[in-house]
Amino acid sequence: MRRFFARNAPAYVFLLPWLIGFFLLALGPILASLYLSFTRYDMVNVPEWVGLDNYVYMFTRDRRFWKALDVTFTYVALAVPARLIMALGVAMLLDKGLRTIGLYRAIFYLPSLLGASIAIAILWRQLFAADGVVNQIMATFGIQGASWITNPNTSLYTLVILAMWQFGSPMLIFLAGLRGIPRDLYEAAEIDGTPRWRQFTRITLPLLAPVIFFNLVLQTIDAFKTFSSAFIISNGTGAPADSLLFYTVYLFNEAFKFFRMGYASALAWVLLIIIAVFTAVAFFTSKYWVHYENERD
Amino acid sequence: MTKLTRRSMLGAMGAAAAASAFSAIPAWAADRSIRHFWWGNPERDKRTFAVIDVFQKANPAIEVSGETIGWGDYWTKMATQTAGRNMADLVQMDYRFLFEYVRRGALLPLDEHIGKSLMIADFDQGPLEGGKVDGKLYALNIGSNSQVMVHNTRVFQEAGIDADLINWTWDDFAKACETITAKTNGAVKGSDDLSLMIETFESWVRQNGREFYDADGKVTATVDDVASYWQFWADLREKGAVRDADKTVILDPPIAESGIAVGDTAMSHYWSNQLVGIQAVAKDKIGAAMVPHKAGGKPGQFIKPSMFMSLSRDAKDTDAAMAYMNAWVNDPETTAILGLERGIPCSPKVRAALAPNLTEVEKMSVDYFEAIQSRVGPLPLPAPKGAGEVRDAFMRVGTDVVLGNAQAADAATAFIEEAQSIVERAQ
Repeated sequence: MRRFFARNAPAYVFLLPWLIGFFLLALGPILASLYLSFTRYDMVNVPEWVGLDNYVYMFTRDRRFWKALDVTFTYVALAVPARLIMALGVAMLLDKGLRTIGLYRAIFYLPSLLGASIAIAILWRQLFAADGVVNQIMATFGIQGASWITNPNTSLYTLVILAMWQFGSPMLIFLAGLRGIPRDLYEAAEIDGTPRWRQFTRITLPLLAPVIFFNLVLQTIDAFKTFSSAFIISNGTGAPADSLLFYTVYLFNEAFKFFRMGYASALAWVLLIIIAVFTAVAFFTSKYWVHYENERD
Repeated sequence: MTKLTRRSMLGAMGAAAAASAFSAIPAWAADRSIRHFWWGNPERDKRTFAVIDVFQKANPAIEVSGETIGWGDYWTKMATQTAGRNMADLVQMDYRFLFEYVRRGALLPLDEHIGKSLMIADFDQGPLEGGKVDGKLYALNIGSNSQVMVHNTRVFQEAGIDADLINWTWDDFAKACETITAKTNGAVKGSDDLSLMIETFESWVRQNGREFYDADGKVTATVDDVASYWQFWADLREKGAVRDADKTVILDPPIAESGIAVGDTAMSHYWSNQLVGIQAVAKDKIGAAMVPHKAGGKPGQFIKPSMFMSLSRDAKDTDAAMAYMNAWVNDPETTAILGLERGIPCSPKVRAALAPNLTEVEKMSVDYFEAIQSRVGPLPLPAPKGAGEVRDAFMRVGTDVVLGNAQAADAATAFIEEAQSIVERAQ
């Protein structure tokens, strides 16, 4: 035991800041929110235990909860594939061995760095407004544009496009994955006269599967948690007509606008479970489509 | 045994030096400090910080720090500070939220200070009443206001609108909208579309002889009230006499984006203390009209305290805080800086002192206030818990009507049901 400490003490000392941060700043609030989810708590008075009331109300009576799920699932279903396809496409273009690749990588990564920022959300609102740039461009081609952001039928798609544009981080991971595929496989395929498309489906995709899987899980979790862009573009309310009522926006409103901390905590735990289920399903199904190079089948 | 090393020795010396430095700080900082938190806009912030400077000069022993943020984020920050037991000593309060904060025990009553450190004996009693909860004064009125239909006087003149803008009816209003739109070939629409403006709708309900909420906080507005209101605007929309739906569904836009500021409509709905701010961004001279009346109906509009100042539960130095609060409503230099920006002051002395130096638009707002006195109804009871959420629901359900995705009557049924369940749940 003493030896264990003697050997590992330096490591623990270095880990200490993170450990303290985790236990004080993350674990504490996480457990507190679990407790709060069974209470009625308005941030001023003492939390009052209500058992499962919050959860029962959520599933049986709260129409906005279902609306929020609808919006969020639609977004995840559209934004994740869109972003991954975009990321893979750009990664393959950049994998051609350009000399200025470092520059391009940086340029393409830039939107992802800016993506979470308030400025981009505001910019997006301007772009897709009734008299925004998008409509002005369309007008030059004689197409009458709509007010994309304020129309409940189109507002969500503007956010999907925003998500697509922020393909930077999965793109970098794809790029690393593509670099790891042995070149001689392609050379052999060339010699055999395999068409490009078949090279892609038979070599690139299978060998990239672990990376695709990794990106898929990460991006799905990310998409479920989308907040700042939706919050800014919908003025914090999910407007117009709840078409941008992302789950996190709804949660924020319940917590900080209507002071229902207990209910908001319950919402947070349901979101956690949803994300956990999705991740678990991804991991479970992965053994059927993801193969790792060091495995033998 | 601990070995004394060079490093630990230096560390100890550093710590000692730091400790002595800290103990020295209070010697040159003020002994007493108070925090004042308000929601604002650039103009209001400028005036408030100027007032803080004045108070600071007169009371060098008290350090005042001002905190400001826009209306939208104000209540979020306030709730967080309340929960964290870290409220500012003095907070700006709104009639809509007053009961909620008193019921949560976040504010202290002011009664014991009246006549001692808070001199308000000669103030108008009516406006002061609005700050009372259960017979105790929890909020000091720092200005009164009322609703106003701000209009573009140039466009009104050119279109030849000669209606009596204090006594006019909804029919007159609709006709004016159509005339203006026709005369300008649609370049200027008659009015902003107020479908999503629950404040105007509340007047509409009162004109029908009901309050939106009864004394128990239940929703008493009817489906018919809502349906007829939304239909009124739907008809104007169909005639093209009000602003485009695309712009209407942008919720709570800043003043600079309203029709009257942009110049694409001739009327917008606001609160009378905002007249100065609107004139600052409008190209043409603005005028003030009442919310139209219902022919043969009851008075709908009312005069309300636009803002209060309250003493928070977390106030440490109440004497300093009360001195500051008293200066706000009595000190000549302070009240001169504040002017009418937060509303009409309820001290007759202050009003008399301000009168000779009013600007044109300030004078208009005072005249407007005089003119409406006989046409307004009593102050409604404070809204129950959940009223803020009902306002959101009104805008959300109304959006579908404005965009033509729902009929006024169906949406009205949905809204009333939702409003009832929101209020019920909030209790």
